Amino acid sequence: MQELNLKRRAFLGKSCAGFGMAALNSMLGQAATSTSKGVISPLHHPARAKRVIFLYQAGGPSHLETFDSKPRLAQMHGKTMPESFTKGQQIAQLQGKPLICFGPQQNFKRFGKSGQEMCDLFPHIGTVSDEICIIRSMWTEQINHDPAHTIMNTGSIIPGRPSMGSWMTYGLGAESEDLPGFVVMMSSGRGGQNQPIAARQWSAGILPSKYQGVKFNSVGDPVLYVRNPPGISKDMQRDSIDAVNRLNQKQYNAVEDPEIQTRIAQYEMAFKMQASVPDLMDMSKEPASVLEMYGAKPGDGSFASNCLLARRLAEKGVRFIQLYHRDWDHHGGVKDGIAAKASEVDRPTAALIQDLKQRGMLDDTLIVWGGEFGRTPMSQSGDGRDHHIKGFSYFVAGGGMQRGISYGATDDLGYAAVENPVSVHDFHATMLHLLGVDHLRMTVKYQGLDVRLTGVSGEIVKGILA
Amino acid sequence: MKLVALLTLSICALAQPPVSFNRDIRPIMADTCFRCHGPDKGARMAGLRLDLREEATKPNRAGRFPVVPGDPDKSLIVERIFQSNRARVMPPPSAHKELTDKQKVTIRRWVQEGASYEGHWAYQKLARPDGTSIDGFVSARLADDGLSAAQEADARTLYRRVTLDLTGLPPSPAQMKAFVGNPSTYEQAVDRLLASPAYAEQMTMHWLDAVRYADTAGFHGDNLFPTWPYRDYVLNSFLKNKPFDQFTREQLAGDLMPDATVEQKVAAAYNRLNRVSAEGGLQPKEYLAKYGSDRVRNVSAVWLGLTLGCAECHDHKFDPLLAKDFYSMKAFFADIKETGLVPDRGTKAWGSVLQLPTSQQRQRMDEIVARLEASHAKLDKSTEPINEDWAKGVLADYDGGKLAWQFQRPMSATAKNGTTLKIYNEEELDMMPYFGGIIRGFRAPGNGLIVATGVNPDTETYTVTFKPAAGIWTALGLEVVQDDSLPSNSVARGGDRLVISEIEATVMGSKKPLKFSLANSNVSDPAWEQPPLAAIDGDPKTGWGVLTYGENKNLLLSLRFRETLRTNGTETITITIRQDSDTRKATIGRLRIALNAGRYAWPEGSDVTSDRIKRGKLQAGAGGLSDEVLRALRSAPEKRTAAETAALVAYRAWANPASIVALAEIASLDHERYYLSSAIAKVLQTEAVPPVETRILARGNFLDETGPIVEPAIPLRFGTLNTAGRRPTRLDLANWIVSKENPLTARVYVNRLWRQFFGTGLSKSLDDLGSQGDLPSNVDLLDWLAAEFQSDWDVRRVVKMIVMSRTYRQSSVPGKDALAKDPENRLFARQNRIRVDAETVHDVALAASGLLRERFGGPSVRPYQPEGYLTTLNFPKRDYSASRGKDLYARGVYTQWQRTFLHPSLMTFDAPSREECTVNRVNSNTPLQALVLLNDPIYVEAARVFAQRMLAEGGKTLGDQIDWAYERALGRSATADEKSVLAELHAKNLARFRSDPASAQQILTVGDAPLPVRSEPAELAAATTLTRTILNLHEMITRN
Repeated sequence: MQELNLKRRAFLGKSCAGFGMAALNSMLGQAATSTSKGVISPLHHPARAKRVIFLYQAGGPSHLETFDSKPRLAQMHGKTMPESFTKGQQIAQLQGKPLICFGPQQNFKRFGKSGQEMCDLFPHIGTVSDEICIIRSMWTEQINHDPAHTIMNTGSIIPGRPSMGSWMTYGLGAESEDLPGFVVMMSSGRGGQNQPIAARQWSAGILPSKYQGVKFNSVGDPVLYVRNPPGISKDMQRDSIDAVNRLNQKQYNAVEDPEIQTRIAQYEMAFKMQASVPDLMDMSKEPASVLEMYGAKPGDGSFASNCLLARRLAEKGVRFIQLYHRDWDHHGGVKDGIAAKASEVDRPTAALIQDLKQRGMLDDTLIVWGGEFGRTPMSQSGDGRDHHIKGFSYFVAGGGMQRGISYGATDDLGYAAVENPVSVHDFHATMLHLLGVDHLRMTVKYQGLDVRLTGVSGEIVKGILA
Repeated sequence: MKLVALLTLSICALAQPPVSFNRDIRPIMADTCFRCHGPDKGARMAGLRLDLREEATKPNRAGRFPVVPGDPDKSLIVERIFQSNRARVMPPPSAHKELTDKQKVTIRRWVQEGASYEGHWAYQKLARPDGTSIDGFVSARLADDGLSAAQEADARTLYRRVTLDLTGLPPSPAQMKAFVGNPSTYEQAVDRLLASPAYAEQMTMHWLDAVRYADTAGFHGDNLFPTWPYRDYVLNSFLKNKPFDQFTREQLAGDLMPDATVEQKVAAAYNRLNRVSAEGGLQPKEYLAKYGSDRVRNVSAVWLGLTLGCAECHDHKFDPLLAKDFYSMKAFFADIKETGLVPDRGTKAWGSVLQLPTSQQRQRMDEIVARLEASHAKLDKSTEPINEDWAKGVLADYDGGKLAWQFQRPMSATAKNGTTLKIYNEEELDMMPYFGGIIRGFRAPGNGLIVATGVNPDTETYTVTFKPAAGIWTALGLEVVQDDSLPSNSVARGGDRLVISEIEATVMGSKKPLKFSLANSNVSDPAWEQPPLAAIDGDPKTGWGVLTYGENKNLLLSLRFRETLRTNGTETITITIRQDSDTRKATIGRLRIALNAGRYAWPEGSDVTSDRIKRGKLQAGAGGLSDEVLRALRSAPEKRTAAETAALVAYRAWANPASIVALAEIASLDHERYYLSSAIAKVLQTEAVPPVETRILARGNFLDETGPIVEPAIPLRFGTLNTAGRRPTRLDLANWIVSKENPLTARVYVNRLWRQFFGTGLSKSLDDLGSQGDLPSNVDLLDWLAAEFQSDWDVRRVVKMIVMSRTYRQSSVPGKDALAKDPENRLFARQNRIRVDAETVHDVALAASGLLRERFGGPSVRPYQPEGYLTTLNFPKRDYSASRGKDLYARGVYTQWQRTFLHPSLMTFDAPSREECTVNRVNSNTPLQALVLLNDPIYVEAARVFAQRMLAEGGKTLGDQIDWAYERALGRSATADEKSVLAELHAKNLARFRSDPASAQQILTVGDAPLPVRSEPAELAAATTLTRTILNLHEMITRN
């Protein structure tokens, strides 16, 4: 095999010039699912995090009812929003409507030694207040869900750019023997505002499809086509794969096409995945105390169960784990809506952080919590808030981030990020930095451009690095 | 040390051919210099521009010369690139673009040799290089590198190759045999393949990637929009070998052509294939800007091979393209009628839509419309004016509860195909209706609710019995209760709709079924519904359907009894609800049965917003009148709005027993009109209107409306259109694109054709022939082919030239010398081995197994797809329903292309989402591909059908059978070694299936294709595992 590899390396010596290392790796048969080195090898600098768990709160959580307390907005409640804030700015559904200040609908409280302020509906997240870093100065440039997700995931609104998980698997390779490097899970809220999320959000785009996120499902096949056809036992599947591989090997002996060797390796990997994926998804062996800690019921497809699965994936070496939790789109009923969401996410989010910590994994796991945008300080339909891009909140934990601090700020009314604003590109640059990658130097040639996750900008947010 | 190296290199240089700017220098500079010293003046540093000789040889502000031709030591750029001082070296370390020693030396040599510039090759006017054939150009280039062409591929390999490349299908054994017997018939074989519909399908597949053809809108709800007639246009164009210039004009401007034909108008749908959004709250201006940019990116990539999209925010960094060029290109499309928010359902869906009835359909539709008018006229006479005594009577009936729907208490509910039906009369259960935009869950008594759970078959028949109280009944009601727990649109158990094909009712003991005269529902928008009459028309193929549902009331279907039903409290009534439509799982999730004694009550479902339901206090169904009619009745006649009066008139007509004949006529005509109208093809239409103003948007910001207004124009670098002062149109653009003045299009297209037949282009950058693109390995060959193409725009002629060439016919097994000297095969001293495209992966399996159903053109089809794959789509919530019958087995090119959730098997084999132009599918090799071929039901079914035929036609011995299958799958017979591997597997599995017949039965029932009447399950199952192995071979999906 060693000799074979070398031969192939010589054969492909020049081909890496064009597409880049991805093509080379593909030809060499290093599936993203196997322990394989990424193109950034060695890393540009020592990594602080090995993996990322992105708790993606889809729909646009209101920063004003979660992590960004605005007493001044409460005082302005019911008054016209000063035009100095809103003139010439983008507005979504409130176009042409009166812009009236809408005070925070939930109470805030200080938590932990750090005294970080957050909504009092987050008592569990409050217990890990000293572990997290709240960023109150995020901003983005897309005001509708679909493009806003796309830029948050890929750094661009033009379809076809790789999503961040694909970039990370491409750059860093995978550590798991038998699982994909980039896994996506989805949960819905009971509020009914479950905005659509396109497969584009975890697409590898211009990178080879082996870097695309693989969606794990709590109902049906845990991964598409991972189950044997009815009537085919595990042994029969094994024998069929053996036969396929033996026949392919004979063909390889005749024509020496290296792609055949890759194909053989991929069939082996597929067989391993058929066992490892259902194993991973089966939480029945988790102790009751752990299930209780997360509030997870095996097989319910909830955010809580997905958080627990995320920890299991992290333990197996999956590089990028992205959990979408939908239903944060509170155009109406933001008060009740946030309360409902808090009841779904508060406990499992905190449990994940604590669980990783007690297993000694928080230090090299970067946890991110946030969505595609925030919500207006102005009211919509009397009791809701519209989409808002000028300022919103995220929090991060572990993986080389500062603990127990708040960073950046919006103005008095929570409209625009005014202190230390963090763009989507800045955020991506910082994430890559923690993983040991210089965002300027991880590029792929496409249509004459050196495409990178951070487009043409992006500054590392030094203030949040530990 | 460095000096020595340099010296050695420059001595070597003496023996080298001179440096070519285009081949050697431009790629280096484009990658490392032009970003700051190129065409974009906004990004230019130190005022230095290196892409133009007169600029690069001018003294700078300090009086130094960047480039002194012939004198590298005096040239500033040479000094700077060899700098060891990090503060002065170029490119600066911050650019992360370090030059290699070899590149530095090359630049130095270039200056030494006189720093001659060449214009970018692709921008030069196309001139035909001397030469007469592809092979001539290829062998001349090979000779330069001391290489020679490989020998011709063996006949089997060649024939399978050319068949797969030209048609996307494997050769039949008979054709293969004929060809192998007489390889000199190659040209006839090529001609036959080129004339086949399969050739057109294959060419269409590639074209659809480029123009990003899809069946859905792409943003947000990603709903289906009508595009397939455009695909038919492309299919027919390739079938007829339409000249490429005409093909171009028709797509860009078919609607503007003089006396535009229907075909040309359909072609112009190209202009509307961009993604569009129906997301509430979008800013129209922002989305109009997105749509415009999308078109500019596409037209410039497809026809010009330019990355003009890069100039949306600033002048192009590497190519002579200005931001102004981007917006001037966009201005060509400013005449297309469109809105920022594009409605995705209802009667206004998708804006301008072209109807394409056949003459027969048109005639019938005219008749129906005329007859409908006549029937409506009958109604009007009989109902006006409103008699206020009648109105008072109705209101009194309503207030007295006489119009109320009375929910029955079912005694039994059973299902034919295995669904579990549970009755909740007074028992409580969880309900999750969706109203006011929010799901509000609560627990309440079922009030006669029947809930379907468990097995979820494609079709189902429910039978419900109940015993009504004594009374005189006028109508039967079927309430469909919405609930968010259902996987589909809140009312059905699957699919994208609910369909009730037939409802029957009988009184137990009586032989005659109860007859109905009229059917109505409370669906408010007719565009969301299939006609209610279809539920009682006796035709199982039609049905009352609800396509999307998210209203604040439950659905109610009312069936008026032909004769009133009298009960005395002892009769048992049986209702049969047949749900046998072609939409799989379009079955009801939750229902109630109701009766009405009013004369006549409007179907109003129970109000899910009512707090009374929550408290379980609403014992009988509400309603009996629509809200509007009720409002009208409660207002004094003179205070009624026009809409209220109209509603009242309509209700009066509907309730008037004297109108029953006219009503029945109308219902029947509406029914026919619905099915006729669904059968009429439709396509997005490009409708020209006075152009909207197009401004240059600073940094692409749509909010900034201060930029200058631009007129349509081609990129300035390529000249200007002369229209004598008239505003240039899309037709002018198309005419320029296919004119000799345009150096790009012919080069771009032949380069892509080359890729189809070699796996890679002569230039590897299929979508960028700009300065950042890859220089073709054989510029003369590309230019010659392009000149040939430009002379008559005959696509088939160029394709034939390519596949007839010796270069194409070479073996793909690399020789040692070629492998060492040209590992990437840029010079074509051999063929390439190519993994076939996603659609072809599908098609070869179906063709080999005999499952493929060939057709040409027509609407898109839906292959099997895992349940729940569309869960994260919304607006509306929906599930997927695979096609039925032959549509299940159509070629991949016909697959319904859902942009945000492309069919997972296609996606796994690298098919693009078609949100953007794709001309170079990345070709990967992954474990997920193995899972698709092993486990996707279509491949399991193909293996089974393959095995059925193999057992029936493949000969007596297993060896013969394996050969038979190999011929069909791989175009060859199996070796003894291969047979022994397969025989071993077969024997093992045969024993297993014999001892476990149930598992044999299971594998054999995957897929809809019928089983043979007589078959021995274990034997067929074992044979299926054998053919399944063949279908999984690498060779199966590789063209060598």
